[in-house]
Amino acid sequence: MTDLPRSQHIVASGLVAAVGIWVAYVSYTSEPARAFLFPRIISTVFVALALWTFGKALLGRTKVGIGLTASAVANILPGLVVSLVFVFWAADGLGFYTASAITFFILLSLYDPAPHHEVKSWIKRAIITAGFVVVMYLLFAMLLNVFTPREILF
Amino acid sequence: MEFLAYFGEVFTPINFGLLLIGTIGGLILGATPGLSPTMAVALLIPFTFKLDATQGLILLGAAYTSTVAGGAVSAILLKIPGAPANIATTLDGHAMARKGQGARALQLSFVASAIGGVFGVLLLIFLTPILAQWALAFGPSHLFWLAILGVTVIGSLDSSSVVKGLLAGCIGLWLSTIGFDDIMGAQRFIFHSSVSGGINVIPALIGLFAIPQVISMFAKGRRSLDAEVLTVESHPIGEAIREVFRRSRALTIGTLTGSVIGLIPGVGGQIAGLVAYDQSRKMSSEREKFGTGHSEGVIAAESANNAMVGPSLVPLLTLSIPGSPTAAVLLGGLLIHGIFPGSDLFDNYPDVAWTFINSMLIGQILMCIFGLYVAGLAAKVARVPNAVMAAIVLGLAVFGSYSVQHSMGDVYVMMALGTGMFFLERFGFSAAPLVLGLILGPIAEANFIQGAMIANATSSIGEYFFTGLLNLVLIGTVVASIVYSIWMELRSRRYTTKEDAVAKEEATP
Amino acid sequence: MKTLIAAASIALMGLTGAATAQDAESYPERPVMLMVSYGAGGATDFQARIVTMTAGNEDALGVPIAIINKPGAGGRVGWNWFATQADADGYTLAAYNIPHFIAQSIEGGVEYSADSFEPIANWGADPAVFVVAADSEFDSMQDVVDYAKENPGGLTFSGAGLFVGHHIAALQLEKAAGVKLAYIPNNAGGAGAMKAVIAGEVLGGVNNLSDAYRAREAGNVKILGVFDLERNDFLPDVPTMQEQGFDIDNASVNFRGIMAPKGTPQPIIDKLAETVPAMFENARVKKQMEAGGSPMHVMTRDEVIEMWKAREKTLNELLSGL
Repeated sequence: MTDLPRSQHIVASGLVAAVGIWVAYVSYTSEPARAFLFPRIISTVFVALALWTFGKALLGRTKVGIGLTASAVANILPGLVVSLVFVFWAADGLGFYTASAITFFILLSLYDPAPHHEVKSWIKRAIITAGFVVVMYLLFAMLLNVFTPREILF
Repeated sequence: MEFLAYFGEVFTPINFGLLLIGTIGGLILGATPGLSPTMAVALLIPFTFKLDATQGLILLGAAYTSTVAGGAVSAILLKIPGAPANIATTLDGHAMARKGQGARALQLSFVASAIGGVFGVLLLIFLTPILAQWALAFGPSHLFWLAILGVTVIGSLDSSSVVKGLLAGCIGLWLSTIGFDDIMGAQRFIFHSSVSGGINVIPALIGLFAIPQVISMFAKGRRSLDAEVLTVESHPIGEAIREVFRRSRALTIGTLTGSVIGLIPGVGGQIAGLVAYDQSRKMSSEREKFGTGHSEGVIAAESANNAMVGPSLVPLLTLSIPGSPTAAVLLGGLLIHGIFPGSDLFDNYPDVAWTFINSMLIGQILMCIFGLYVAGLAAKVARVPNAVMAAIVLGLAVFGSYSVQHSMGDVYVMMALGTGMFFLERFGFSAAPLVLGLILGPIAEANFIQGAMIANATSSIGEYFFTGLLNLVLIGTVVASIVYSIWMELRSRRYTTKEDAVAKEEATP
Repeated sequence: MKTLIAAASIALMGLTGAATAQDAESYPERPVMLMVSYGAGGATDFQARIVTMTAGNEDALGVPIAIINKPGAGGRVGWNWFATQADADGYTLAAYNIPHFIAQSIEGGVEYSADSFEPIANWGADPAVFVVAADSEFDSMQDVVDYAKENPGGLTFSGAGLFVGHHIAALQLEKAAGVKLAYIPNNAGGAGAMKAVIAGEVLGGVNNLSDAYRAREAGNVKILGVFDLERNDFLPDVPTMQEQGFDIDNASVNFRGIMAPKGTPQPIIDKLAETVPAMFENARVKKQMEAGGSPMHVMTRDEVIEMWKAREKTLNELLSGL
């Protein structure tokens, strides 16, 4: 195993252990004790297992998990940022249908291999986006009566 | 054999029409992410106001049957399990779809569902009185041990490292304690207002499975068109039927586990598929192929979750106790027509009761026929280019998790868990044990507390939890399961081929 | 440019201002959502679905009411959401359960109280009853209390949770009979509590009259007493607690109705308060409620306001002793 995943494994299992320690801390300090009995049991096991994993990562004995390569991160980042903005802000701020239409189109433009300089590929992307939004609207708004947050445009 | 006399009722034009509508509608609703069978049946209740009792129940029964099976469609094609029952189906089903064998996976799942389902309904028809006693036999201490048994399965489920599997399970158990605790009403770990209501299982399920997959698609970057083309193998239906019967071990384990566990009120439906999957893997001679697109995985999981449908109604129909949320909704469907289920239901309203049960029997078969019909078509989803697929799954995940409770908080939880899960998966953790922890946590905790309260009032905790045949059998099974896991861990340290496949795929330019 | 923005913002303000004034006039113009803080299939959910089924009629609201379930922690999850996050525009309503949410607000740890909500109308009153398994040795409340006196703290009985109607009834019984009992709250609500009684996990239980009536019809339980001031039409043969010598009033009776969040425009509340009780009185609604064994009790907004106040007072007294 190369060095890159090893240091990554240390960071990842360290983070998990940190969460575990926080959970344990909260469980053992919060009242009423009766309501936190179960969290205490869980967090104890959680911390023990997390430290075990962390120790193995430190020793470089982690056997599973492929980690992240630089090229994978570069590929993920734009899509992930767009998705996070969509979910955590745009869906509520702009309305579900508006926001998903925009996100859908951006994601297609980012990852669709069709050449950017051809008008044809842009038309195709727009049509797919429109089709998706229409299907979503028919399924969720018309058929299932789901009340999504108010749209900003209509 | 009384039920045979009422078969005619099912085939009157109106009733059969409703059965068809219920089945097709149920398949569509079931395939929609976020819509669990409970939600789907609750959505249909208003339509039954206008129908008479028999017709209303035919519609509901058919919808229940086919939503459970329909959940397999999104589980296999999109890796979004529509309900906890379909989690196990994603493990091998989606792997098959990725290999271009989506049609085969869907056909296997529908055939296995139908066989399991028919068996379950037959149990309901012939063994109801005995099964009712079995359903009542599970008190708090037994349910607690059952949940612990589930926890011991966690470690070995879809994970190449037992320690990491257990750790993921612990994370899931912890997540399940967030929010108000169910009995005392105390607030726990509410670090953000989105989780003040606790973590709802369905949005969590969608996030944990669908989002890592979306991000993995991003990871492949902007590929040239040629690399995208995946041939979708068409698969003859006869072949699928033969294969299901050839894999008779998985089919038997799935069907039996599903019907036995499905009976237990409050627990059964959610974990039947996972337990069956785990059992059939442990007993399979091709153990190492599980998780890589192995047909036994799909067959065991799907036969189990449909086998559960019939028995899960036993407590409702005989004791008037709804054993699952879906059964509770069906109870509403009976009550609005003034029909009170109970041991004399079959004497007072034989026409309603038997027609309802028969419609589920026919519904299983209709569901299979329609499912097989669309399988080949639906499998073409695998040919949708990566970019489009990622965007579709993301959109469905957002809409689906919002529709459960009309809550933005659920959508945030879905996305946060999903993004976290992507990174965890890269370091050897997997989603299935985490979800199992999330499901089992409340069952274990609530039953432990109730059991302890009863024990304090009557005897001692030791006596309450550790005596009695059923307790001892369950404890024995727990111990056996742990020993087995340790033994397997020591004997053959398994390295997944699945991860290698991902790594290889990303490495190719 | 500046004037353009100013003009635009004035126009926009004019638009929104006009919209609020018009809202009440044309309300409702789209489907209304009704939040139920218990799971699909529970008694509250089931009754809410029946009483709102005629909402789309011209003489009622004219638009359908859609039920949304937000279950968890005895209703706390749903009502917390309703008090803090629901839009106060008349399109988001909720079902209330008295004494549940008032008792929970007195106990603390939640973000609502009776002042957070505006009642619209009441549709049902479901008293608590004491049930034992059909093969139980107990035949009256006296038998139950005698057993409890011989085994202090040893009489286990189930109910739907802490600080809900069943728990209030249990506290009242303990107080009136002067005995210590072991109340076992169930996480699966009334259905789970009933299962515990039928399966013999506990010796008895407090449960909803509607559910207990059905369980008795099915031959699974005996009903020993009603926690109400009068006998119920569904169970004319079951005596009240007072008839059996226990000083217990109707504080635990589970009133169900519809409410709006605080801040909903007054014209909209008035309009709802006028149309909703009439909607509950619909003949079809009554027929189906009776078929399902659910006792109806329609009250107008003013009556509900009175009832909430009275409940808050009694519950404060009862729970202060804890």
